[in-house]
Amino acid sequence: MICCKECLDLLYDYSEGTLPKETAASLEEHFSDCPPCISFLKTYKATTVISRKSIKADEIPEAVQERLRDFVQNLKKP
Amino acid sequence: MLNDGIYRMPSEDKEHEEQLVREFQAGNLEVFEEIASIFQRQIYSLAFNLTRNQMDAEDVAQDVLLTLYRKIHTFQGKSAFSSWVYRITLNASYMKLRSKKKDKFVPIEETFPAFNNSGYHQEKIKDWSESADSLTFSNETRENIGNAVEQLPEKEKVVFILRDVDGLSTEKVGEILDLSIPAVKSRLHRARLFLRKKLSNYFEEYYSKETQKK
Ligand SMILES: [Zn+2]
Repeated sequence: MICCKECLDLLYDYSEGTLPKETAASLEEHFSDCPPCISFLKTYKATTVISRKSIKADEIPEAVQERLRDFVQNLKKP
Repeated sequence: MLNDGIYRMPSEDKEHEEQLVREFQAGNLEVFEEIASIFQRQIYSLAFNLTRNQMDAEDVAQDVLLTLYRKIHTFQGKSAFSSWVYRITLNASYMKLRSKKKDKFVPIEETFPAFNNSGYHQEKIKDWSESADSLTFSNETRENIGNAVEQLPEKEKVVFILRDVDGLSTEKVGEILDLSIPAVKSRLHRARLFLRKKLSNYFEEYYSKETQKK
């Protein structure tokens, strides 16, 4: 039976789904008996999702877009 | 769940971009506006995520556009053009950050979980994952998460932003930063552990305040 510390090292590949089947199975065996590790896994995954949602800045503010456009147009002037 | 919003650049777009770059390199200055309009979102959002400041991000975006305009002839096509643009944006963002004073720095390992001698979790691990999602849209939460990302050490921060926020592939991040795949993975894991701890602190405090109110 693997311990929590070993689980931590496997967590990245497990959450990406790239862990070999057998290793994943022994990890899941540990989870079935260890609520702290389940909470850890869930919050580890949620960290990525929540952080992305919170900080993703897809749109450039309109005013900035305009200034950048002017800036680019001025580059061409000798 | 983790693959939500992974960004894939259609190969025709890539061809079109590289065609524009070749035309510009050959002396057709007119195409620069199109190059700038294709890449300005990528440039601005990376600069904003690294500096967490609109004015700094705009300055960086101008610097990068100027560099592209003046130095595009040095692009040799050894990597994708977009990777080259990412690298220029990173350098310009770091210059900007260096010109500002930094907050005190906490060793990232201090945020990793603690284990007892038998290798089991020493602390109680609370699961805030389900309730936290509904809080994501409050400004306070966003600001808090933004601050946590800002506190990440540079090496981990840039990998986290490119891979987990912008959704680039591990391979692409490796190309941009000139890192091996295992190195990208290891930095990403460390970044997630750091942020998980910061978010745990925040949500646990938030919920204990909520319970006191009731
Ligand atoms: Zn465990």
